[in-house]
Amino acid sequence: MIRLEGVVVRVGGFALGEIGFEIPSAGYGLVIGPTGSGKTTLLEAIAGHLPLRAGRILLRDRDVSRAAPEERRIGFVYQQYHLFPHRSVEENIGYGLRGQVAGSRSQRIRELAELLNLSPLLDRRIAGLSGGEQQRVALARALAPRPDILLLDEPFAAVDPATRRALRREIRAIHEREGITTLQVTHDFEDAMRLGDVVAVLAEGRIAQAGTPDQVFRYPNSAFVAEFIGTGTVLRGVVERARHDGATDGHFGAHFRSGALDLEVVAEREGPAYAVLRPVDLMVSRSATPGPAPRNRFSATVTRVEPGSAIAHIHLDASGTALVAAVMSTTAEELGLVPGLTVMVAVKATAIHLI
Amino acid sequence: MSASRPVSPWSLAVWVLGALLVLFVAGPLARLLIQARPASLAAAFRDPELMASLWLTVLTATSATVCSVLLGVPLAYLLARVPFPGRRIVAGLVELPVVVPHPVAGIALLLFLGRQSPVGRGLAALGLEVVNHIPGIVAGMLFVSAPIVASSAREAFRSVDPKLERVARTLGDTAWDAFRRVTLPLAGRSVLAGAVLAWARSVSEFGSIVILTYNPKVASILIYDRFTLFGLPAAVPAAAVLLLLALVVFVVVQLLAPDGGARR
Repeated sequence: MIRLEGVVVRVGGFALGEIGFEIPSAGYGLVIGPTGSGKTTLLEAIAGHLPLRAGRILLRDRDVSRAAPEERRIGFVYQQYHLFPHRSVEENIGYGLRGQVAGSRSQRIRELAELLNLSPLLDRRIAGLSGGEQQRVALARALAPRPDILLLDEPFAAVDPATRRALRREIRAIHEREGITTLQVTHDFEDAMRLGDVVAVLAEGRIAQAGTPDQVFRYPNSAFVAEFIGTGTVLRGVVERARHDGATDGHFGAHFRSGALDLEVVAEREGPAYAVLRPVDLMVSRSATPGPAPRNRFSATVTRVEPGSAIAHIHLDASGTALVAAVMSTTAEELGLVPGLTVMVAVKATAIHLI
Repeated sequence: MSASRPVSPWSLAVWVLGALLVLFVAGPLARLLIQARPASLAAAFRDPELMASLWLTVLTATSATVCSVLLGVPLAYLLARVPFPGRRIVAGLVELPVVVPHPVAGIALLLFLGRQSPVGRGLAALGLEVVNHIPGIVAGMLFVSAPIVASSAREAFRSVDPKLERVARTLGDTAWDAFRRVTLPLAGRSVLAGAVLAWARSVSEFGSIVILTYNPKVASILIYDRFTLFGLPAAVPAAAVLLLLALVVFVVVQLLAPDGGARR
């Protein structure tokens, strides 16, 4: 378990906090945020490299707020790996196993080398390794002393996409096998969706939103979060209660007006608001075929088609408002979507997320 | 088309100017070694006064270098890693002796360590006579060589990413262990090269020692002494011996330098 309570850290002019966040035992937590939001600072504070101005850090129910880094039982993997260049792969992995019996030491090294496909590289020097290999060595080195907590700083930032996918799978598998509570920082929401049990979005030194990746993705609580994690198009407008619409559970039928767009929505409150439209919720068709009742329908012009292997992103102009829809690539071809074409767009009132 | 390009006046000038400087440096040194004929060089190695003076030089230079390392390396580490108030002032202060003319350094040290000063009296009370004694030689050498060790060690520590130490700490090392197991092995070669340079600088020191401790004579003073008392022919063999010693040190530094030929 990792628990941060009111953590405040200052580095030069940068202030981080207050941060409150918890990852349950054997959980995989992600902190995502743009460059400069304080992600690495947060990890270094947890590892004990930076002093706390306020707050507490609990690892496995143990208050380590004042403990030296070597007393915290943490494995740390930096973005740039930071392997010891004067030692071999084997010596790097075994670095933290000092004081152990030679037999159990080499057994643990072999075990991790096998797990991470490093066995043929054990005698190699660091200089000749590829990025993916270095990342695996860094991971093995961090895991070797069986730490309570694993901290990963942008572990996939410096590797190619194929290696990234492989490493994601491996890290998740190792995480489950070793049952180690893990905290990873990343700027890539993809990592959060694929790996995380818990995710926190960091913005300018503070946590903007925390929850399960699905929750955060579906229901971003601010325009910043919605835009940063790429939930969808964020529109700024005003909510007005629809006439003759009785409220249920505090929700009521309403209109959301943004520019020339007037959308039916289900709202909790009136007044200025943001609406998040996810690309997958926008349905694009050539003609105005009648469909189920509570749908918003409006015409739009295709401005750009962004092809993808499975999903194509269709950029639209709806009376001056820019929107993005996601359709199957095959559908996009069948519909003959090209820039300049006028299409009908439909979206369910319940699919529009208001902030 | 011809394979060789015509030589431009610009590149010709670069080569000629460069060659002039090489000649200017190599010429006098070669001349000195040629002038000291093998027979007189052999005699110089049997000259008890010169040999005693060389031993004194090596001994005092080594002492000064050990002091430079003991005092300079910790300071260099602080300057490279710990952001304390006034760090830039301290860094500048440590480098200051480089621009101080050596006789000026000698006079300053004389005032500071002589019997007239409280520091000198204190040291004398502890039985450590500095001026006109061997410690005076070491003091002069230390003053001019410590900046070399401090600045080369500082650059060496700076070149080691502090995150390597942080990784070592999370792997169970104390701050001292991380320094000993990671930073020192990575910076050690440069620190050592700096120490050898400081040693060479100590051996060649004259200006401050001539003021602090003329007797017993280190090699540079002995050579100067013979030149003023007996003229050029008397000074040449001793000068050649000291030059040979300098050449040995030079080769060692080249081998130790991080971009030197012996790198693995």
